[in-house]
Amino acid sequence: MTQVVLALVLGFLFALGTYLILRRDIVRVVWGVTIISQAANVYLVTMGGIAGRAPIMGHGGDNPVACSMPGAGADCVTDPLVQALVLTAIVIGFGTTAFALVLTYRVYEEHGTLDLGEVTVE
Amino acid sequence: MSAASAVAPVGPPLLQRGADLAVTTTHIVVAPIVVALVTAILTLGTRRFERLQRALSLTGNVVYVAAVAVLVNEVLTGDPLVYQVSAWRAPFGISLVADALAAFMLALAAVTSLAILAFSVVYVDDQGQRVSYHPLYHFMLAGVTGSFLTGDIFNLFVWFEVMLMPSYVFVVFYSGRRHTAAALQYTVLNLVGSALMLVAIGGLYATTGTLNMADIARRLAAPAEYGVAPGPVLGLAAILLVVFLLKAGVVPFQFWVPPAYRAAPAPISAFLAGITKKVGVYAVVRLYFTVFAAGSIPGGLGLPGFAGDSFLAYFGPVLFVLALASMVVGGIGAVSRDNLDDVFSYSSIGQVGFIVLPLAVVATVGDHSFGAAPTELQILGVTAALVYALNHAVAKSLLFLVSGAVFDAVGSIDFADLGGLTNRRPVLSASFFVGALALVGIPPLSGFFGKLLVFDTAGRALGAGAPGAGLALAGALLGAIFTIAYLSRAWNRGFWGERSVAVEQAGQPVSLIGIVAFLALVVVAIGVGFDPVYQFADSAAEAALDGEGYVDAVGPDVVGNATEGAAGNGTAGGAHDIADPAGAAEVDAPAGANGVSAR
Repeated sequence: MTQVVLALVLGFLFALGTYLILRRDIVRVVWGVTIISQAANVYLVTMGGIAGRAPIMGHGGDNPVACSMPGAGADCVTDPLVQALVLTAIVIGFGTTAFALVLTYRVYEEHGTLDLGEVTVE
Repeated sequence: MSAASAVAPVGPPLLQRGADLAVTTTHIVVAPIVVALVTAILTLGTRRFERLQRALSLTGNVVYVAAVAVLVNEVLTGDPLVYQVSAWRAPFGISLVADALAAFMLALAAVTSLAILAFSVVYVDDQGQRVSYHPLYHFMLAGVTGSFLTGDIFNLFVWFEVMLMPSYVFVVFYSGRRHTAAALQYTVLNLVGSALMLVAIGGLYATTGTLNMADIARRLAAPAEYGVAPGPVLGLAAILLVVFLLKAGVVPFQFWVPPAYRAAPAPISAFLAGITKKVGVYAVVRLYFTVFAAGSIPGGLGLPGFAGDSFLAYFGPVLFVLALASMVVGGIGAVSRDNLDDVFSYSSIGQVGFIVLPLAVVATVGDHSFGAAPTELQILGVTAALVYALNHAVAKSLLFLVSGAVFDAVGSIDFADLGGLTNRRPVLSASFFVGALALVGIPPLSGFFGKLLVFDTAGRALGAGAPGAGLALAGALLGAIFTIAYLSRAWNRGFWGERSVAVEQAGQPVSLIGIVAFLALVVVAIGVGFDPVYQFADSAAEAALDGEGYVDAVGPDVVGNATEGAAGNGTAGGAHDIADPAGAAEVDAPAGANGVSAR
């Protein structure tokens, strides 16, 4: 059940992010990028097999197999590695979002507008 | 950020201790990364002392070149060097792999980066250098170096980010109207690219059960044994390809290139076009020709135009079409621009087509499966791509630096303001001429051999009856004609003819012209002394095509074979005894104490 809900939520987040990126308002575009990268993070967590057992020493039985392993059985252990990956991705995402927001402000200062139709390269 | 595929049963120690902590030759693999990072931090800390900061920055880059030289020497005289970070065994830890391919790309980056940094020290204004230029430059170099060396696909993502962050700042460096707009486009596009990359890598981890590139190759070669479904892996690899082609600026992901290169300071345009672009090319060669080449879909996809069942048989035609499109789009764009930077930017789009084309041709030729010996034609194709990449790195950097020097002397790079530079600034004009001839491919310059190898690949593929080889030949010819057209136009309008008012009053930036002339000499030297370069590129191509050799060098443990369960882990553990008994006891202890299932 959790998996179905998460899959739907992920689909919604990616759709929302894409919608926002296609807006003309730069702040919405930045929001869209942020939402997409957060959706990618949630997606990454699900790659570890959220239905598995807690990845704590001793919880996995005698022969624990990570749910991310191809061919893992139903009594697999949730893979904690993806959580480490997500932590890294969150930190990177934090930095890039901060930069994107500062850049948005600079664009506003230089162009006096946040409408992408009026912010031109030339 | 490493590749642990199973929550390991407590038998085999994952961490090697003792003897591994001694400094050995494999430690040289991390040296270039460490040098770049340390230099970045030192230059960050010495912002108050301008001269010291610049001296440290230049010294750091010289040490970087030295470290790369030692590494290249070690790799070329011996086996590939593999450094397991913190002595965590592959595939659990991050592996840094320096084989001939990585060494070739590092050498390319090292030579070009030193000239670019020397140019920057003179060219960029004091305020800019003091605030952020040097730390960002070395962080970017560290990101490039890490991308070339890493053997872990998530770690590749991290190094990509390390490389991209400074490049965002560099594009907006001058912070004017044009620069902020270009940076916004560049940043948003690359952020979406990063999210895609994360999605692809997460999916690859879920489908193959590992993040170690060598381990992925081995699992793809025996999908049934490891329970890997090849179909999803192919799709995820295709998503990943988009990200790399975005970095390489291949059509249809090219539109960010001209504004970003135009907005960045001239030396950074040289860096982005010369080095960063090659990271995308390297990733395509490494991941698709070394790693994903091991995969195949029995029976093939059954789509028209895609013959064969190897993964590369699918990527070949895609790369082929995009390479041809890049040559045409880049060529047409460059012919119609009216300033130096834009001509060179569009030219970069066209030239990267020349790099990808031989790769695309040989992707569909012969047997690319795991363990199959690469054919002569396959090696030739990858060698052509690498030699062309080297030529483009040096020649295009030279041209962007020329553009910077022209701007410094004349105050403009628009053709409308230029003209008659040949006898006003002869050395600068001669440097442009050398760079242009190298791109066109006139012997004895480096570009001649690049073009020759590309045409040779297409010609031999035609002789071997490869599909599309004739079209490749025609496309390469068209691309070459475009190259001659836009560079002679730039020469005629920018350097020949009547002296304009601005050129008449041009300054004489001696140091800038000296550095540019030096790089022009490097272009000539690579062409004249081409034989060792060719040998190097040839062994790099062999390394790129030798998936089995790559796996053997990295040597990831056989784990996570779900069908065999603990047996595989047991044998692997036995083979890697650790020297530190205390550590072993520590690791083993919970097995006895807590080995009770909680449920």
